[in-house]
Amino acid sequence: MKFFLLWAAVHVSQYVLFLYFLAINSVYTALILLALRDIVRHAYLTTSRVSRRQLASEFYFKPVSVIVPAHNEAAVITQSVQALLNLHYPEFEVIVVNDGSTDDTLERLRLDFSLLPCAKPVRLQVPHEAIRGVYRSSVYRHLIVVDKFNGGKADAINAGINVSAYPIFCSIDADSLLEPDALLKSSKLFLEDDELIATGGIIRILNGCMVRDGAVTEIGLPRGFLEAMQVLEYTRAFLSGRTGWNALKSLLIISGAFGVFRKDMVVAVNGYRKTVGEDMDLVMRLHRHCRDRAIPYKILFVPDPVCWTQAPYSLRMLLKQRNRWHRGMIDALLTNREMILNRKYGATSLIGISYFVFVEFLGPLIELFGYLSIPVLYYFGLLSTKFLVMLVLLAVFWGISINIGAVFLDIYNFRRYNRTSDILRLCVLSAAEFFGYRQIMLLERLKATLTFRKKDWGTQDRRVFEKKGTAV
Amino acid sequence: MLEILTQSPHFYDYVTAAVLLLGVFNVAEVLFLLWNKARVERSELKRQDLKRLASTALITATDPAELLPKPADEEDFAAYSEAIASVLDSFEGEIAVKAVGLISDLGIDEHYRRLARHRVWYKRGNAIDILSSFRLKANKEFFLAVFRSETSLDVRYRIIYGLSLLTREHSDIRALARMLSGLPYLTAKYTEDIFYNIITALKAAGNEAEFGIFMREIMHDGAVLNLVKRDCITACYAASCEKGRGLLMEYYAAFPEEPEILMAAVKALARIGDFSVMPAAIRHPDWRVRLAALKYAHLCCMDMIPEIRALLRDPNYHVRLNAALALAKSGEKGRAALREEAAGADAFAASTAAYALGQEAA
Repeated sequence: MKFFLLWAAVHVSQYVLFLYFLAINSVYTALILLALRDIVRHAYLTTSRVSRRQLASEFYFKPVSVIVPAHNEAAVITQSVQALLNLHYPEFEVIVVNDGSTDDTLERLRLDFSLLPCAKPVRLQVPHEAIRGVYRSSVYRHLIVVDKFNGGKADAINAGINVSAYPIFCSIDADSLLEPDALLKSSKLFLEDDELIATGGIIRILNGCMVRDGAVTEIGLPRGFLEAMQVLEYTRAFLSGRTGWNALKSLLIISGAFGVFRKDMVVAVNGYRKTVGEDMDLVMRLHRHCRDRAIPYKILFVPDPVCWTQAPYSLRMLLKQRNRWHRGMIDALLTNREMILNRKYGATSLIGISYFVFVEFLGPLIELFGYLSIPVLYYFGLLSTKFLVMLVLLAVFWGISINIGAVFLDIYNFRRYNRTSDILRLCVLSAAEFFGYRQIMLLERLKATLTFRKKDWGTQDRRVFEKKGTAV
Repeated sequence: MLEILTQSPHFYDYVTAAVLLLGVFNVAEVLFLLWNKARVERSELKRQDLKRLASTALITATDPAELLPKPADEEDFAAYSEAIASVLDSFEGEIAVKAVGLISDLGIDEHYRRLARHRVWYKRGNAIDILSSFRLKANKEFFLAVFRSETSLDVRYRIIYGLSLLTREHSDIRALARMLSGLPYLTAKYTEDIFYNIITALKAAGNEAEFGIFMREIMHDGAVLNLVKRDCITACYAASCEKGRGLLMEYYAAFPEEPEILMAAVKALARIGDFSVMPAAIRHPDWRVRLAALKYAHLCCMDMIPEIRALLRDPNYHVRLNAALALAKSGEKGRAALREEAAGADAFAASTAAYALGQEAA
């Protein structure tokens, strides 16, 4: 009886693994195909003359509050704020929220932007830690700095929302740089579609690029393997992943590094929740809020507004970041578990959330089971050499196709990486990912699954953006 | 192991074929990327050259078509159309006439008219956009014909946009309004754009009064959405429609329960320097109307300080804050009122007053 059960378990697990492998790769392939259709169409229409003229027109716009949460960002804050003040936009304010920094972030801001105390009454619409003071720059009238007790990124953005004056807000990380027209391109969508409640642009890796006066002047693939590998991952995640989810109306993440939201909707869901995955959590709650109340809404990803961000350059920092992302995702799924496989939430639940549960959350467990069981099965003669070789080849070649597909979407449509050597390196990295990198990330995600209740963010080391024309 | 699959006679053949296919596909993709990179770089250079050549020929030559090579592919057409549209935007008179002549001499209009009937909707949309940018009167009939047969809403909206640039007389506005009301309301920006284009085109043709007649016609027309009426008013605001003063007042009086229309009317009137509705607007029950009025209250020459001061106790935060800011901008009398309020017992009024005074001092 025991032998029979073991035999049955082995056979069932083989089928599960094989079907899972087929399903997951088919999903990625389908996403790439959907993204290709969407991106080509988008590129075609946004490059038309009329669209460009409309973008340049200053008659119609909605003023935007740009909120920058900053905790111990003294190394980059001045350049980052300078870049934001140079955005091409008719009416906006920049609100930097100093979230109880222990370094001299506030002092830097005070000196570099001539801050003066300001008695701005703050409307308490969403909860956050107490504000110590509000300052306004005497040089740049649209720069406000909020100094508050430490409460985390979500808490800092909530404080920014309360201080903000405009109906749309854009949250951006302090270590990121927005392209000058990024705000125009993303907020324009709010004018074109009354149902739009949130949108996000693409996040690209700043490492390897040249930065001058707070703007990216030359784009290049970073030299380091880890950093270059992240370029590939971001390209895949944004261009094939999010664009594909867009097409399926199931977008669940708008990156915390660059997202634009309708303030009334975010206030309606009580703002950001204190968690390590506050970006995904917010988007899920927005979906829930609108579906529960039958409010027509849209949450969209757009591939052309670009935000450049610094990627971790050491393995230790990278693992820490991935661990945090995975914990954030699990927390968001658990908090919004009512949405899992619930027909009331339509495609968002049945497609988007199911993907996160079965692929992103369970995926690492199933993949690990595969890595462990295949050698055992092979050792006991339950797996033929021919089958094993063919399976590995199929998995690797299919994976490479998905990666190169994402590179193709980027290079063909947006042509950011123009050097032949960069294109070839991205293609080589598409294959290299399967030999070590993927497995290390898998282990970290498993670690995060086991410790998902931890709430700490950890610290990230920053590099100064610009050193007179040198690459970051 | 997976016997059902592996024992099938062709299982390994299929898997091998899939692996080979994926391998070939990957290599082909990489090669295509490299080839495409070289192609795009070449065509970009060619496109820039053509644009420069076309612009120079239009400005300097008597018959530019003789100097310019016939467009051979899509890139050439795009380069020529961009150059011509830029010239049409910047020049009038002889150069503009030559540019219009070049459109037909090089077969550009024919090319995009063909594309406007392409089976892929976004290619049709792009062709309509390009034809619109030429603002050719001759395209009006074509646009109307395409509109009748067009199935995609996106393209239909673009056709209406193109037609709005060609408005000359009253019948054109009526036709456009009918076409617009036949489609679902898109967005405020789109409708405003359409009416803005109409007003600008009418102004250029010296027929601005036609728009006033049109607005009076639709004022009590139940078939026209109030949102569309509001967008007409905001278009007047954007296009500085000075002749519409009386009409805007009529709209303000006719829609006392429609805050969207009232806000638009208050803004449009303020833009042309008419503040007669201000006293009523800052007492309106809807906070959005009060707020819209407060934004311009400091420009009004009537003494409205007592009314604005009362709004420092408004239940709405935005109204309180803007009342304080309006007082701060209303000269010494306004600032004196703010100072009194800042020292007063009402905490809400005191904090907003202190903020506005601080702003003013900074």
